[in-house]
Amino acid sequence: MDTVKPEIARLFAAKEARRHKLAALPFPEKVRAVVCLQEMAAPLLRARGRKVRVWTLDNRVT
Amino acid sequence: MKRTLQVLNELERGGVIERYAIGGAMGATFYVEPLLTFDLDVFVVLPPNVGDLISLAPLYEALRARGYAEEGECVLIEGVPVQFLPAYNALLEEALMEARETSYEDALTKVVRAEYLVAICLQTGRDKDRERVHIFREQAELDMGYLAGVLQRHGLEGKWKQWTP
Repeated sequence: MDTVKPEIARLFAAKEARRHKLAALPFPEKVRAVVCLQEMAAPLLRARGRKVRVWTLDNRVT
Repeated sequence: MKRTLQVLNELERGGVIERYAIGGAMGATFYVEPLLTFDLDVFVVLPPNVGDLISLAPLYEALRARGYAEEGECVLIEGVPVQFLPAYNALLEEALMEARETSYEDALTKVVRAEYLVAICLQTGRDKDRERVHIFREQAELDMGYLAGVLQRHGLEGKWKQWTP
């Protein structure tokens, strides 16, 4: 059976820990993170012909 | 987003909608890592209509009167495309009744409980719902006793077993 090398296992564990850290963020910070994801994804989706709109947040600091 | 939620609260206070709660990917994001979405899914209980037909027309009309235009299946409210989904079955009605109150930058709002979001995913049954259930199980603090009750009441125990071997 294949086994995952320890350094790869560490990377997976770190990724998992980061996802849990993100899950624990306050809701407004998560909303800001979603808008960042939208900004990253929008150009790719538009290039594929999908109409998407990045949200406007009331008091976003960029 | 804060203004968007305030508009939803105004609609509720004005009786245009009886009750609302955030669901979908943004509802899930309340409990787990941020998930990419471009729509704010809002479940609504609408006031009783003539002939008992569920119609979003009065809601859309009220929004149009406030200057908010429809954009595809959504209404653009203060920079956020909002998709309104009427509570069309017993599970959604219960999810709305049990939604939790929270605040977003001083604006009060309601979010569907994680256990109901899981149940709605099971009922909807798409690939992305399956993936979302997996994320909920990994990251959200689910009240398993509460979830068991929801699944039992809505006949979703079999699907839960099937999706979570």
